[in-house]
Amino acid sequence: MKYRVNFFVNEEPVELYVEANKTLLRVLREELALTGTKEGCGAGECGACTVIVDGKPVNACLVLAPELDGMHITTIEGLAKDGELTPIQQSFVDLAALQCGFCTPGFVMSATALLEETPHPTREEIIDAISGNLCRCTGYARIVEAIERAANGGGDPA
Amino acid sequence: MKAFEYYAPAALEEAFDLLDRFEAEGKLLNGGTDVVIQLREKLIAPKAVIDIKRIPGLRGIAYDPEHGLTIGACVTMNELGNEALVCTHYPTLAKAALSVGSKQVRNRATCAGNLINASPLADTATPLLAYGASVVAVSREGEREIPLDEFFVFVRKTSLRPGEIVTAVRVPAIPGANGVFTKISRRREVDLSTLCATVLKTGEGWRVAYGSVAPTPIRLRQTEALLDAQPLTEERITRAVELARSEISPISDVRASQEYRLEVAGVVLERSLRALM
Amino acid sequence: MRAVGESLQRVDAIKKVTGQAQYVDDIIMPRMLYAQVKRSPYPHARILRIDTSKAEALPGVRSVITGDCYTKRCGLYLEDKNFLAVGTAKYRGEAVAAVAAETPEIADEAVELIEVEYEQLPAVTNAVEGMKPDAPLIHPDLHTYKVAPIFHPVPHTNISHHYKLRKGDVDKAFEACDVVTENTYYIPHVQHVPLEPHCAVAQYDLDGKVTVWGSIQSPYAVRQALSAAFDIPLNKLRVISPYVGGGFGAKAGTTLEGIIIPLARRNRGRPVKLNYSREDEFENSYVRQGLHCRIKTGINRDGKIQAVKNEFVWDGGAYTEYGVNITKAGGWASAGPYDIPNVWTDSYCVYTNHPVGGPYRGFGMCEIHFAIEQNIDEVALKIGMDPAQVRRINGLRPGGVTGTGEVMEVSGFHDCLEQVLEDIEYDKKPVDPSPTRKRGKGVAAGWKSPSQPTNAGSSAIIRMNEDGTFILMTSGQEIGQGSETALTQIAAETLDVDPALISCRFGDTDHTPYEWQTVASRTTYCAGNAIKLACEDLKNKILDLAQIKLGAYKRDLEFRDGFVAHKLYPDRKVPLSDFALGLSFPDGSGVGGPAIGVGCFTLENNLNVDHDTGMGSHPAAFWTIGCNGAEVEVDTQTGHIKVLKMVSCFDAGKVINPLTYTCQSEGAMVQSLGTALFEELKLKDGKVLNKSFVDYKIPTADDVPELVVKYVEHPEPTGPYGARGVGEPLMVPGAPAIANAVYQAIGVRFRRMPITPDDVLKALREQQENEKG
Repeated sequence: MKYRVNFFVNEEPVELYVEANKTLLRVLREELALTGTKEGCGAGECGACTVIVDGKPVNACLVLAPELDGMHITTIEGLAKDGELTPIQQSFVDLAALQCGFCTPGFVMSATALLEETPHPTREEIIDAISGNLCRCTGYARIVEAIERAANGGGDPA
Repeated sequence: MKAFEYYAPAALEEAFDLLDRFEAEGKLLNGGTDVVIQLREKLIAPKAVIDIKRIPGLRGIAYDPEHGLTIGACVTMNELGNEALVCTHYPTLAKAALSVGSKQVRNRATCAGNLINASPLADTATPLLAYGASVVAVSREGEREIPLDEFFVFVRKTSLRPGEIVTAVRVPAIPGANGVFTKISRRREVDLSTLCATVLKTGEGWRVAYGSVAPTPIRLRQTEALLDAQPLTEERITRAVELARSEISPISDVRASQEYRLEVAGVVLERSLRALM
Repeated sequence: MRAVGESLQRVDAIKKVTGQAQYVDDIIMPRMLYAQVKRSPYPHARILRIDTSKAEALPGVRSVITGDCYTKRCGLYLEDKNFLAVGTAKYRGEAVAAVAAETPEIADEAVELIEVEYEQLPAVTNAVEGMKPDAPLIHPDLHTYKVAPIFHPVPHTNISHHYKLRKGDVDKAFEACDVVTENTYYIPHVQHVPLEPHCAVAQYDLDGKVTVWGSIQSPYAVRQALSAAFDIPLNKLRVISPYVGGGFGAKAGTTLEGIIIPLARRNRGRPVKLNYSREDEFENSYVRQGLHCRIKTGINRDGKIQAVKNEFVWDGGAYTEYGVNITKAGGWASAGPYDIPNVWTDSYCVYTNHPVGGPYRGFGMCEIHFAIEQNIDEVALKIGMDPAQVRRINGLRPGGVTGTGEVMEVSGFHDCLEQVLEDIEYDKKPVDPSPTRKRGKGVAAGWKSPSQPTNAGSSAIIRMNEDGTFILMTSGQEIGQGSETALTQIAAETLDVDPALISCRFGDTDHTPYEWQTVASRTTYCAGNAIKLACEDLKNKILDLAQIKLGAYKRDLEFRDGFVAHKLYPDRKVPLSDFALGLSFPDGSGVGGPAIGVGCFTLENNLNVDHDTGMGSHPAAFWTIGCNGAEVEVDTQTGHIKVLKMVSCFDAGKVINPLTYTCQSEGAMVQSLGTALFEELKLKDGKVLNKSFVDYKIPTADDVPELVVKYVEHPEPTGPYGARGVGEPLMVPGAPAIANAVYQAIGVRFRRMPITPDDVLKALREQQENEKG
């Protein structure tokens, strides 16, 4: 049985018929070919599938497809408008705050949600916002610094 | 995940109908952070998943000094933990709520769900037990309030009856109460509790609640009685620590040994008491 | 220099921050089938019967396979494995059957319908027990297996390799030593935890061409293994690896690729995909082998270490086709980065009914250094000398001699040590914030060389486009370490052009040239050398043409900033693009043809060690040496250890890109912190008890201490621009540095990783009891 859902992805309206046992993660990747959102564990533990749902960061692997009706979802593909990187993306690039890149979209989404809610976060708030995102390559220091830098308009962190 | 039907009732009545129809094969869905994982791991394979998030009236947080706090069943951990009224009047609860999982998980997970899941180490259970909170369960027969220490029955078992839906958690107001919530975990962020505890000093006495030391989160009544009896002296703290250790029955598991939990349970009590002296 | 040594922006960064970088699971293909695997519930069992009929009858199921379709064993160094169990299942979780179906859900359901009847066999769940003569044999036919000549299985035992190192006379030396100490250590299994789980897709075309897309570190090694296992000619087998979402060794060999090939063969024309879940990742890909380690160190009061004797027993798991080489690597590095005259080491690789051991960042070095570096501290304290001073006295200097008897021509050991001591402020004893919060500092050194075949090869192609831009083709695989960027920089430096003019391509055995493997911290060095040679080849060819065009001697011409220019008359120059298609003359004729440079690299005079003594004059391509320092705070009431600061200094030879070097070093320190404090694959009767992120914890951003990264540069004579590999070595001393710091804080020596709060409290209790007693 399939369920009709109307929702928004990156401000575009979407209408789909989905199976109940699919997750938002699979809908994005398989139905909408938005493969920037990654599956690292499928159990809400790694944050690689972080997307912004109605303004808040959420693990896409823990949302069932039929729940989507009416939701507004932002994925990594929705950030760089007209090819222009967001300040967060730019500071990840500048500081090499990534290596294999698999966790990077999730981190960028967590950071984006944080700065929308708290434009000038403390270091503790940054760590709280990204401690649900696992990275095995970088050691995180540069990721924290990149978010700090983006929050401070691209200059050195205050 | 096996196939199932999905329903998002728009009213409690509709939800009751669905529960009647599917009985044990209907699974209520709230924040989904436990249920979706149980589905994924095929620990459950319900015929129908009944999503209660579209039922009106389950999302609010209300507080007044007389009746205390009411937390709607669909209030998320982040909403609870960041709510100014909760931070002011129930800081241990706010801290416990924000200690659950990651920020992403807390945007979905709910306090009611945390309790219904009935894990021995449910983080929000210890402040709620200490405050004497209760769970509001509604069915066709009407509404009943279940005190939290009667709500938890065993590991992952509650006293909810078939057909009942938890609509809220009620927390009495205890003017002047002051407490400490402690979570001991292997990793500071995003981890399950190896042990969690709330020690609450109320006007007239002490409340002590622990998680991950018994099949359910529990109040340490004897320890409380000892603490209530007389002023807090060094000797009394030592005796309370010993008593608390005798009052709990932790197990060894993949997260920690029984010995560790016994020892740290005492440390947590001692530190909490000193902070509240 | 214009490119080498510059903090160039990562060339893959924009793709990665926008979600555009493509990983295997992102490739969308029409008519895909999905595979799933039936796994053994027992650590050791004979397979009596497999009934696939119900699974085959399920609508949507296309094929079901069992071990019957695997007739040839394969393996990198020792051919001991099949991709599905044949005869017996040798670890809990081993694949015994697999299905291909129209959807992942149908595949899951089909797997549940496969019925397998087993006869349980006694299991080996401890490597030391597994060495005993009466232990159940996991591979009774080991003596018949094909094995690379440098490995020595012991027939009719579970020992798949015994490496011996015999230098000097240790027994005599110990007798003369002032202090001898002997300790045992245990390093449990851990998992690599790349954030991208393993994933592979295979397609069998009707004409017999097979294509495999995989999250693969070493496409050529995978091609070789699959070709051997399935008798597919190499020209009919194409392995493609796009961006790899973290490897750390887990994706170095073959794991799941061989499961889908027979399924694809039965469904020609349709791609078949197998995705590992995170749970699979913990149990069914590679894990880092466990290590039982006994180490004896003899020292004189003057601080000179006279002898070491080691016994390493590696818990290799069910198959050790790769693990035998870790055993060798651990053995030949067993003296550590020290000049020690007498060394005796026995390093055994032992089959157990545990998950399959494989290469993990460090390739045995992280494990053995946890023991070596704590023993150094211990003997130092026993003779009343500062451990840093003992390291100074014994550390390898230029001209010093390694454990295997090799003379170290270059060594930055002492520079690294002094830098780390300075950055951790070793002389300032830390102040305890309270009686129950104790602080300590520790230092450790480490070394590593690539444990590659002595004749491992690399090749590269550089093509100039018509406009003077370049395509660089290598099979050095970008797995996060930054090879795409560093290799581009080496090419740009050699050609003296803007790195932005070069695009790097990798990971396609039909199109990018041979590379042995992307492992062993060898890519910058080996692929870098091949690229430098390719660029020099291109230069040479263009300069041949340029001397005609410019009317000048070749020796007077050079590549300069996108031009061929005269060295003496700088204004006489021609853009490189003029030579892209060869040289054209006014009469319309031309010579030379399109500009392509080819580079092939094998390190010469790299020799195997002696079979009986393990000694060799030049067994290692190079040794990378460095140090870590750590400062910790221990809560003596809860047992929690907080790492406050870590510092790192390594001799990189030449840092190609300081930005990516620093990021690698930071990541390595935090990964070592994870193994020191959190990580252990908890095994009970062969079962992994914590195969998820719920109970296998890796560090989060919150656990990260202050990190200080430094490096020194004593050029590697054979490295491109003096570079040597660093990816793995950077992680090696981290865990022992933390353990040494914990010792300083609370006076307890932990001989097992990870050091958990539970262990700390237990040890402190024992310490108290001992003091009382």
